[in-house]
Amino acid sequence: MPLIIKDEYPEKLFRKDGKRLDGREINELRPIKMDVGVIKNADGSAYLEWGNNKIIAAVYGPREVHPHHLAKPDRGILRVFYRMATFSVFDRKRPAPGRREKEISMIIADCIEPLLFLELYPGTSFEVFIEVMDADGGTRCASTTVAALALADAGVPMKSLVSAVAVGKIDGKIIVDLSGIEDKAGDADLPIAITWYNEEISLLQFDGNMDLEEMNKFLDLAYEALKNIHQIQLDTLKSKYVKLQEETSNPNHKNDNKGE
Amino acid sequence: MEESEQSEDNEFEDFEDEESIRDVVVPGEVLTEDVKNFLPGRGTILNKEKTKIISLNIGLKQIKKNYINVIPLRGFYTPRPGDKVIAMIVDKNPVKYKCDINAKDFGQLKPKNTIKKGRTRGFRGAGGFPQEEVNTKKFDIGDILVVKILSADRLNKPELTTIGKYLGKKVGGIVISIDPPKIPRVIGRNGSMIKMLKNLTNCNIFVTQNGRVWLKGEDIAHERLLIESVNKIASEAHTVGLTDRMQDFIINEKKKRGIE
Repeated sequence: MPLIIKDEYPEKLFRKDGKRLDGREINELRPIKMDVGVIKNADGSAYLEWGNNKIIAAVYGPREVHPHHLAKPDRGILRVFYRMATFSVFDRKRPAPGRREKEISMIIADCIEPLLFLELYPGTSFEVFIEVMDADGGTRCASTTVAALALADAGVPMKSLVSAVAVGKIDGKIIVDLSGIEDKAGDADLPIAITWYNEEISLLQFDGNMDLEEMNKFLDLAYEALKNIHQIQLDTLKSKYVKLQEETSNPNHKNDNKGE
Repeated sequence: MEESEQSEDNEFEDFEDEESIRDVVVPGEVLTEDVKNFLPGRGTILNKEKTKIISLNIGLKQIKKNYINVIPLRGFYTPRPGDKVIAMIVDKNPVKYKCDINAKDFGQLKPKNTIKKGRTRGFRGAGGFPQEEVNTKKFDIGDILVVKILSADRLNKPELTTIGKYLGKKVGGIVISIDPPKIPRVIGRNGSMIKMLKNLTNCNIFVTQNGRVWLKGEDIAHERLLIESVNKIASEAHTVGLTDRMQDFIINEKKKRGIE
């Protein structure tokens, strides 16, 4: 007998004490863990754990474009391949890329492209492969975040990083960083990405109902959350190098003093 | 014996003189807001309002006169005319060899650039015949060559030559790859690091700008030690006092492994 479980959402998405189902405050992010340089053979790579999301990204490039007709003679292209593992969601996901994967690949590419200097690499492509190993709401935001991290790790010149987060509405309350259940059962959902160079919005999608006043609140809340995510990105990129610098410099300074 | 020559590049010398710890910066990080006194140098950009200087790479911040530079820690090799690089022949036809030089395009080696012109005989433009035949029988697919880049730009494939000092086919030895931006560290200031490596391990070593290192020693034990040392230099390229530390490391390892 196959196991059939219906999609059932709890009636209330807030607990009695006013917190969310997983015990978060309305403006609290899920725990985020990032790492860079996880894939040895890639030019750059990054890993992200965001709540229950587990995502790996790898960057290759600049390299020749295949199929060749996609190459542009005057500039390089950025190609993003967002894929979900078959076991990443509750029902088995068909491995062939569908409409959703293509859309998300496209929006991530459009989101990051303005930050790169593609005109310096004509006839080539940068390729970002994003594999979602475990999905629990907000994978497009998490993927954008991790893709930027992997590109920076690859040493691709870019104006700044990109951070993304989803803001939503449940029972009239505005919440930050929707989990899987909140995403499906909530009233509104607004993924938003920001490029830190000049702080421009690079991705804005919307689903649900809200009015203009709420929209402003959404953006304010998202901005606060995005700042935190950006800080984690910066720390992740730096920590690898700074740790080595500190480790090696301490005994060395003693030697210098002896010499004097 | 022959392998002491390195392509000396003023641009890369910046990386070498590291007396003090430098800040690790990441893309999008503001280097300074004092635009009157500082100019954006290598790896940096002004923002749209021209109020800040922003880093483009993950690297080390360096101030030279009134320029602010970022010396990258990760990145890819861009061929430039005059570079001597290690290439591998991946394909050949009667007209040219196709060489992998670790850049975005394959290098092209034409047979006329592989043979020295003979002495001119006769007069009035007669003569000048090459002593060898012009064909692609000289090298085989899979050969390792040291080549010089004759011409390279963004659009066309780089053209190579094997005529010149230290150039030509390499027989024997081992080729390893490291991150191209870390090559200056393996050479050291005025070649100090590479001299030290050679003296302590009794190996021949040839370091090229595209991130490849050719080495050949008396026995495999010394070669192994040298490979480990080069990889260690690459991973600690951003730290201070590296030459002294590497010297201690090699001497200790030699004692441990029981090689003289």
